[in-house]
Amino acid sequence: MERILDKGQLGDWIAALDGWEVFAPVLQDDVWSYQPVRRATDSVRLNHPNTTQPPKNFAFPQREVFFTFEQIKGEAPRLTPLVPKSEQRVIFGVRPCDGRGLPRMDRVFTEQFEDTYYQARREQLAYVGLACNQPPGRNCFCKSVGGSPVSREGLDVLMTDLGDRYLLLAVTATGETLMRKAGSLLAEPTGVDRGEAGRVHLAAITHPQRAVSNTTSVPARLKANFTSPLWEELAKPCISCGICTFLCPTCHCFDINDETAGSVPLRGSRIRTWDTCQFPDFTMHSSGHNPRGSLGTRLRQRVCHKFQYFHENFGMFQCTGCGRCVTGCPVGIDIITVVNQVASAADLPLTGKG
Amino acid sequence: MGDNIYLPKLARVIHIKEEVPGERAIKTFRLEFMGDDGFEHECGQCAMLSIFGQGESMISIASSPLVTDYKQFSIMRAGRVTSAFHSLAVGDVVGIRGPYGNSFPVDDWRGKNLVFIGGGCGLAPIWPVIQTAVTKRGDFKNISVFYGGRSPRDIMYQVELDKLRSTAEVHLSVDRVEEGWQEFCGFVPANLMSKAPSPDNAIAITCGPPVMIKFVIQNLRSLGFRDDQIYTTIENKMKCALGKCGRCNVGKDYVCVKGPVYSWADLKELPPEY
Repeated sequence: MERILDKGQLGDWIAALDGWEVFAPVLQDDVWSYQPVRRATDSVRLNHPNTTQPPKNFAFPQREVFFTFEQIKGEAPRLTPLVPKSEQRVIFGVRPCDGRGLPRMDRVFTEQFEDTYYQARREQLAYVGLACNQPPGRNCFCKSVGGSPVSREGLDVLMTDLGDRYLLLAVTATGETLMRKAGSLLAEPTGVDRGEAGRVHLAAITHPQRAVSNTTSVPARLKANFTSPLWEELAKPCISCGICTFLCPTCHCFDINDETAGSVPLRGSRIRTWDTCQFPDFTMHSSGHNPRGSLGTRLRQRVCHKFQYFHENFGMFQCTGCGRCVTGCPVGIDIITVVNQVASAADLPLTGKG
Repeated sequence: MGDNIYLPKLARVIHIKEEVPGERAIKTFRLEFMGDDGFEHECGQCAMLSIFGQGESMISIASSPLVTDYKQFSIMRAGRVTSAFHSLAVGDVVGIRGPYGNSFPVDDWRGKNLVFIGGGCGLAPIWPVIQTAVTKRGDFKNISVFYGGRSPRDIMYQVELDKLRSTAEVHLSVDRVEEGWQEFCGFVPANLMSKAPSPDNAIAITCGPPVMIKFVIQNLRSLGFRDDQIYTTIENKMKCALGKCGRCNVGKDYVCVKGPVYSWADLKELPPEY
């Protein structure tokens, strides 16, 4: 289903989405973030470059409580699971790279063992995406990792900015439902609209971007260069802050800990928080032994997870080319450069433990 | 929606045995599920045990699947959760979820000679296989168990090992010479070489400190064992045990799901990040 929406009526569409909690990019103190939009009273303008953080927190919040516990010593504890019962949520203005983040998270959280908490939020979540007429960031590289500025993957609706109006394309049944709620606000696209959209998409796709080179052979070449000294060399400036992973639309690593609120009786909760492969203690055994004890091994883990291991397991890269890890890195570590340099290094003789 | 994969079942501590004293203390716990809410497991699988308020820890199940009244765990005091385990008393209630990971292909080993090589706390993960093999003694040919600790005090399952001598060869060792010690003095790999078990129709199963495993495998290979005749288990720090939290991977494999049991033929293909 394709429809045309006048830009001035975007707020009216949002107002018509009863039963849905709506979020859209809002600029506050120079930071773009997804904020709740209170119906038509807020004027939503989807002119954002991209949000500082991806919308992954809507399915996978940075901190959540699994269950609370209360236990008198020697007795059976009482466990109370806190599975979220969230309202239906729709996120407006999701860029195609971030849209593609969601199906990658789905592979991790819903296959084999279905993650109760992720699934509860995910089932209620819809993305209304916005095609990138021009790369919204200087480090965009979606095209070289299987994406596109007009990709529909992971989106429920794809909007294309045609100047004074949007072309809306329903990608999923949920997307159609959302569009039907707009009722008479939407019009059938004319031949002119379709022609204009075609030109905009072509311009978007042909717009130059940064790129990972020779992408198809990257997994094999990373594997061959596992013991390359380049890993340690390129990781030297790393300060292990983890911002690259916290800003990533596909990074899913987490920690589970108990927090106590009282000791007699014991009361507390078991919580999940985001974690990162870039922290030295992430993999450290209680014996002190650490399989990834150096900066280079940790950079290698981040890069190879995205460009080799995930590809070996799921047949796709776990990177959508949003460029946030490049832009956000305080010391200038650039995943595009790292992949290109390591993958293009001559195959080196194996020198044992990396 | 399916079961809540993070919600543990409850189990009561019904028996505690002090195996090894001192700084690297090991205690063996028997846990009985409360109510009918239990699970079955296979040899080599693990469970995520929790002490509420302290957290969770992945521990291999040390009892045979043929034992259904309780699950047994031998836990070395190392970090926060395992230290909390060492303060438990009989009757205390803990959390348990699982079983997790793959298992030893014990059924494929019928009619074979089994050579077990363990060191330190590493006897626990292979103990269910030893117990299963002994219980189904007729299914297997010769069974030999090599096991060593730093000193005689560090030998776990002493009573059980003595009992095992009636049905299996048991070769114990301690790292350093100690007065009164009747058996082999030296490291486990050296004890293995001194007895030189034949690779014919044999499977070797080893678990222990990484450095021990490394030399055991070297020695097994020099005795003529092929890579696919050698099995070991690996461990890494784990939080979810479900292949999601991202920390226990060795290359593309999450050890909590694809491991902990590997043949050396498979393991040597993975990067050495364990």
